[in-house]
Amino acid sequence: MRTWVWLAGAALTLGCGGRPSAWDEPFVPASNSAGLAPAYGLTGSVAVVDTALQRVTLLSSPAPLLLEAQFLPLGKDLATAQTSADRQTLFVLSRGVQPQRKPDDEPPQLELIDGSVTPKLKRSYTLTQPMDQLALDPKNEWAVLYGGSGVVVNPNELELVDLTVRGADAVTSKTLRSFGGKPNRFTFTAPLAVPGGDPKRFLIVERDSDLVLIDLANPGANEVTVPLPATDSGGTATSAQVTYDADSATIAVRVTGTTSVFLLQLAAPAQAGQDFSVVTNLVDVGGLPAAIAFVHNTQGLRLVALVGSSAVLVDPVTAITQSASMPAAFTGIRLITDELNPDATAPNGDVALLYGPNITQIAYFNLGGAPGALFRSIEPYDIGVSVKDVIDVPGQDFFDRKILETPSNDFYVLDLTNRQSAPMKTQSGLTLEIAPDGDRVWAFQAGTFGFATVDFDTLHPISLQAERAVTDVFDIAAASGGRTAVALHLGVGQPPGIGATALNALAPSTATARFYSGFELGGIR
Amino acid sequence: MLVRNVMFALASLGLTLAATTAHAESVADHQAHIEVSLGARVSAVSDAGYDPFANSDELAQVSLGLGGTLFAADRFSLAAYGFWDYGSRSGNARGAQTSLTVQRLSIGPEARYHLLPRLYVFAHVLPAFAHSEALLDDGVAAATREARHWAYGFDGAAGAAFEMYGRQDGRVRPRLWLIAEGGYGYLGSTRLLLRGGAGSGAPERTAPVDLGSLSLAGPYARLSVALAL
Repeated sequence: MRTWVWLAGAALTLGCGGRPSAWDEPFVPASNSAGLAPAYGLTGSVAVVDTALQRVTLLSSPAPLLLEAQFLPLGKDLATAQTSADRQTLFVLSRGVQPQRKPDDEPPQLELIDGSVTPKLKRSYTLTQPMDQLALDPKNEWAVLYGGSGVVVNPNELELVDLTVRGADAVTSKTLRSFGGKPNRFTFTAPLAVPGGDPKRFLIVERDSDLVLIDLANPGANEVTVPLPATDSGGTATSAQVTYDADSATIAVRVTGTTSVFLLQLAAPAQAGQDFSVVTNLVDVGGLPAAIAFVHNTQGLRLVALVGSSAVLVDPVTAITQSASMPAAFTGIRLITDELNPDATAPNGDVALLYGPNITQIAYFNLGGAPGALFRSIEPYDIGVSVKDVIDVPGQDFFDRKILETPSNDFYVLDLTNRQSAPMKTQSGLTLEIAPDGDRVWAFQAGTFGFATVDFDTLHPISLQAERAVTDVFDIAAASGGRTAVALHLGVGQPPGIGATALNALAPSTATARFYSGFELGGIR
Repeated sequence: MLVRNVMFALASLGLTLAATTAHAESVADHQAHIEVSLGARVSAVSDAGYDPFANSDELAQVSLGLGGTLFAADRFSLAAYGFWDYGSRSGNARGAQTSLTVQRLSIGPEARYHLLPRLYVFAHVLPAFAHSEALLDDGVAAATREARHWAYGFDGAAGAAFEMYGRQDGRVRPRLWLIAEGGYGYLGSTRLLLRGGAGSGAPERTAPVDLGSLSLAGPYARLSVALAL
């Protein structure tokens, strides 16, 4: 008995140490409903959010087929995350410690993570208020944080972060004057050639019943609020789409419930103290427009409105309209002029692709023809399936390709130059992931074992079968050259962990693939 | 602290008994013996590599010893002693079941000095070899991963032994000794690469899980009961 008493004493004396509490926190994939995706694909790494440990696991590839993990701590209480348009940076927004009890409690912050083959924390910005939502500038110059989560929240409070500046000077807090609405969507414009000054970028904030224009060259200045027109029945309208033309500094708004499009012309200051003025106009296009886009034809700038089976061209200066009959009621329009000839500046006029989710046709709308031959300018192609969305292909190799996403299980690779479409049939619903180098597309259905890739050069699909259920597929650059496809297995098995199958993206084969798991256990000290 | 307490208790007890028995006993009668011991060893492993396998630092092992006196001169004697320590810990790492089984073999010389015929203090430095087997139930791979390693080092310790049972003249055996020691066991670190071997059910070309390195070095205490022949 005495022996065991001594032994217990010894155990207590020697074994007093513990371990980090992180070892007791199971890995749970981030939930999309909580504003976070389980994983984000970047140019040279895959970021897996580990909310339990408030860190991100960055999988990079030293060489094709090889994966290694790095771990970066994130701010407390993650709100949301987004990749930049070029996929080089992951933006992570955290609320910090709320409520703050001590001066050194962590404040809300926006962290920028470099997603290259050597991932690292680029920098972070400290915020004054916890925010829930994030909107990013496609040119990577600005980020807007909004949707606070405090006890009392002003939904019209924005934090504008100038990403070209470091430190506290980068953050501008701005409270929009409100007439009852709240921000719904943000559009960062290209530099608009506003008369009477240098071209300037604007942030267009679509709210419930008005638009707000913020001059990004002077974000602290008073914003301009433009009320939306009423619906044709006199009710409150909301904006459904915003588009702009940089050269003419014209903004067009498709408004719900009205047959008119709303045009905003940014003009020289009309009175002292203004940086610019806004001239508005309403143009009736004869029906409820399904989509609008600015185009150039031989006569100059026009706004195209797709109205039923007609394409209505609006001269934004004179408000004169011209209508062309379409072979079907297309509801989507995408300019493809640059993709057809990226070195040219549309000598005669733009070319647009018309499509719709309820039409088994696409059409090329050639605006370079004579004004009187508008009826001949729309060339339809029957592809047998409807098109839900048109996905751009990045990079220079296959700039003239588009992915046509359909409501069914199929997708099309569209060759704009040769006007050929290659159908890709699948067994089940799928998610498409275009490689950042623009040379191939990956297709998978989360939760199944099968996935596939289609090389844009050969259009040859390669079907692959992982040994564990696939939840995401990303295509990343390898540090030594080449590329690695990373098929993630998140939340698979019990207990769930971070697993991945790595393939040579340029010659994918499960005969050479390598399987990885246990990344969630790394980096805990 | 523990070692000091044990030694103090043994010394006090020994001195009390010695007051009544020393006059009739010879140290030499209690020196020459071969002994087999059975006890428990508790180590404190503070290395971070141990964390996936245990939620605290202690590693308890059953300890089996075998030794014999090689040389004796007056109160001093030299013995050879060896231990085989065996123990395991199991736990979970972020929900994944883990276990670590450690076998340690140490053997070397032990210097003893008899304060009394029935009480001696000792010190030893024993070269040690340890074999560890780490297991991880990998939920994603649906396989048990394992890593087996040898590590080398030494155990350096000091302690005291008290003869609990035996004739006073020392000539009738067996005798029963209570031995307590404390010291530091050093072992080099090994890389913890847990592999899903063939037949484990892991997918083809499964890369190992890298849990860094593991060193089982740390202070320890051992309490044994030895049967001396």
